[in-house]
Amino acid sequence: MKINFILNKEAVSIDVDPMKRLLDVLREDFGLMGSKEGCGEGECGLCTVIYDNKPVTSCILNAIHADNKEILTAEGVAEEPLGKLLIECFDETNAVQCGICFPGFLVSSYHYLLTDGEPVLEKIKTALSGNICRCTGYKKIFESVLLACQRKKSGEA
Amino acid sequence: MRDIRKFDARPKLDGSWKFLDDITYEGMIYGQLLYSTCHHGIIKKIQFPKDFELNEFTIVSAKDIVGKNLVPEPEPDQPFMAEDKVSHFGQIILGIAHPSKRTLISFIKQIQIDYQELPAITDIEECLENEDNVFGREIIIDHRREIELESNWIHSHEIYYTPHQEHAYMEPQGIISIWNPADRKMFVKATCQCPYFVKHAVEAIMGKAINEAVIETSEGIGGAFGGKEDFPNVLAGITSLLAYKSGKPVKIMLDRADDFKITTNRHPSRIELHTYTDPATKKIMKLNVDYRLDAGAYQTLSPVVLSRGVLHASGGYNIPDVYIRGRLFRSNTPSNGAFRGFGVPQALAAIEAHADKIASQLNMDPYDFRKTNIFKVGNEFPSTQKITENHLEECLDRVVQKSDYRKKLQEFKEWNVAHKDKKGIGISMGYHGGGYTGNGEKILNSKIKIIIEKDAKVKIFVSSTDMGQGAHTTLAQMFFEAIKHPREKCWVQLPNTSKTPDSGPTVASRTIYIIGTMLQKFALKIKDEMGFTNLEEYVASHQSDFPREFQIKFTPDPTVSFDDNNFRGTAYKDYSWAACVSEIYYHADTYQIELKKIWNVLDIGHPVNLKIAEGQVEGGNIQAMGYALTEFFYKKDFGRMQGFTDYSIPLSLDIPEIDIEFIHTDSDVAKGLGEIPMDYPAPAIRNAFHNAAGIFINEYPLTPERIFKQISSPKNHRI
Repeated sequence: MKINFILNKEAVSIDVDPMKRLLDVLREDFGLMGSKEGCGEGECGLCTVIYDNKPVTSCILNAIHADNKEILTAEGVAEEPLGKLLIECFDETNAVQCGICFPGFLVSSYHYLLTDGEPVLEKIKTALSGNICRCTGYKKIFESVLLACQRKKSGEA
Repeated sequence: MRDIRKFDARPKLDGSWKFLDDITYEGMIYGQLLYSTCHHGIIKKIQFPKDFELNEFTIVSAKDIVGKNLVPEPEPDQPFMAEDKVSHFGQIILGIAHPSKRTLISFIKQIQIDYQELPAITDIEECLENEDNVFGREIIIDHRREIELESNWIHSHEIYYTPHQEHAYMEPQGIISIWNPADRKMFVKATCQCPYFVKHAVEAIMGKAINEAVIETSEGIGGAFGGKEDFPNVLAGITSLLAYKSGKPVKIMLDRADDFKITTNRHPSRIELHTYTDPATKKIMKLNVDYRLDAGAYQTLSPVVLSRGVLHASGGYNIPDVYIRGRLFRSNTPSNGAFRGFGVPQALAAIEAHADKIASQLNMDPYDFRKTNIFKVGNEFPSTQKITENHLEECLDRVVQKSDYRKKLQEFKEWNVAHKDKKGIGISMGYHGGGYTGNGEKILNSKIKIIIEKDAKVKIFVSSTDMGQGAHTTLAQMFFEAIKHPREKCWVQLPNTSKTPDSGPTVASRTIYIIGTMLQKFALKIKDEMGFTNLEEYVASHQSDFPREFQIKFTPDPTVSFDDNNFRGTAYKDYSWAACVSEIYYHADTYQIELKKIWNVLDIGHPVNLKIAEGQVEGGNIQAMGYALTEFFYKKDFGRMQGFTDYSIPLSLDIPEIDIEFIHTDSDVAKGLGEIPMDYPAPAIRNAFHNAAGIFINEYPLTPERIFKQISSPKNHRI
């Protein structure tokens, strides 16, 4: 089945089994390895993408769900000014450990920065509650996002 | 102590850093494992589904093994695959590969195995309570003195239990094997902690079929925590067998449910303590420890977990008369393995809870009780190793001071009288010996290779892997900071056994402490021998000497000796010390414990990279929080484990405030750090709950169900 969608700001078209997981479409058909598989049941957030303006786990969507939608993956977020700001903050705080969950955190924090961006810890915690990290204890992740929010607010970025 | 940024952070964020599952080779096919769903039994019949072309699949069983069906390390007692009999749930029976993942999955789902079931031990209680299940070597640490028990001494007797804990690294286990018949080499791409263990395992299973196995890690290793210490050996063996038989590159990535069900976990423990305390001096006079671990079906590395566990079992207390007995127990669950802490979280779960128990019997504050009994310079561990520094006590004093412990204790006491919900505060303290136990480092005899290029670029070759802990950033930092070499001219290379010498496994909080120290000393040595102040200038003016290769060997400290038979002597050359205070809020209506804040004070010597060091403490604290409060494995039914839906690890909304302070940071030594922040927080959380609600619970996790049960039937400690 032919599916058309906007992927990382570009119009794409693909002939694919409509029931193939969106995660597999991104990884196998488009070579976008930033979306990882951590659980395959929508629990861990490693495969988070912006789908229809919301952060969604792509392992529980099928290819057909992408039809006529707009999708932004970690690779796409990394090209955006707010994505770049976040990457700088994550890097500066040495927040990244094994890093396999970080593309997902990048996407969720990008969505928060875009839609709200208040430098408030409790709000950030809620915005990141769909992403699991086992290495960091989350503290430096919160600090990084808080820093990005503050910089965005003060117009530094 | 500079905050060098990690070299791999940016590519990890934008998705360009390659983890194992991001790698594909031409012609690669996919493998999966068929494992036993029976805990103990004889395989009667394996029936394949009819509507598949069997010849499209590559299938390997124990019969296809060319070498030996025995994983050679750590303890050689575990087969790669079951032969006629299965000894535990999750034991691998077949490896199966096919070009299509989807076909493979539906094929494996329909395979039927008939077993003749045999009696099985699947419950931790059943395993650890029955002394007939003991196997392996028993360890005794006998530090008894002829002390006569006084009739007025307070006898405290408790049994403490800890459950399985799943590593839950975010990247499941995986291996890619490529067989090259031309040079008869098996190339293995692995997400693992110990490339040389994997090499030895692949060479053992392949026997004469291959000349050599070459192991290279993937760029990214998505967390390990001990979980990728020994299971990759098994997985790499079977994947290689599939690659050999099919002639194609084979990738096996476990899905989350299989990873939960069949890989190693933290050992469940049952630790029974007897203490006798003099009510006049408030000093513990006698301690008897019966330390038991559920090893699972095979020993694998349980003997070394046991030895570290018993060596830490008496905690930070100076007790004149100590007798510790450590044993392994067999069960029909997957072999338990290494997990950050390695027997110490279990040891502290018992002794640190027990300290609060005795303190309450004496009607004494837990801090004062610890102060009265903490060991001092000149005292000794039960192994007779002398205590040479009082840094543990400094950590304890400092953490009590900075957490405002005394003031809070009083405030909470008053607050609790007027409220149904309760507030509580608890203490714990502990230590962790760095590097392998006893003579381990001497036997390991780690090696490092360094190449200095013509452009003064330093390439460091170590088999230590960077699984997120930042080892490759910090190791390079120790080298270039020692001689003020530019950062961009010093790199740790991707571990590959054909290029990197064996610098030992990436375990035991030894990477910075042992390997980093070797690098640092070597940098200073060449500076001295070559007589340069600037390596770049030296290389520029001595071009004909470069590129130059150096081999470095571990030099054991001759003053360190340990008697492995009697467990006497210097068990660890350097200890890291830590103390902790935790504050909780207990929701009485829902029986829930909310962790509000953890304060850590640690002596890890010199923290090379402060932010990386803090990251280790934060991550360890939160794993310990999960251990204390939520993480729970079905005892009898591993088959039910599916993933994060039924195994609950801390999420962003659960995270407390975390305060960290390192003391004695001007030390010359960078001591072990990786494990200690996992060791001590759980008992501080348990003790804070005891302080809040006055309820003494002997088993983790302190879930609402367990608290409810304890309140409704105070005598029954276990669920």
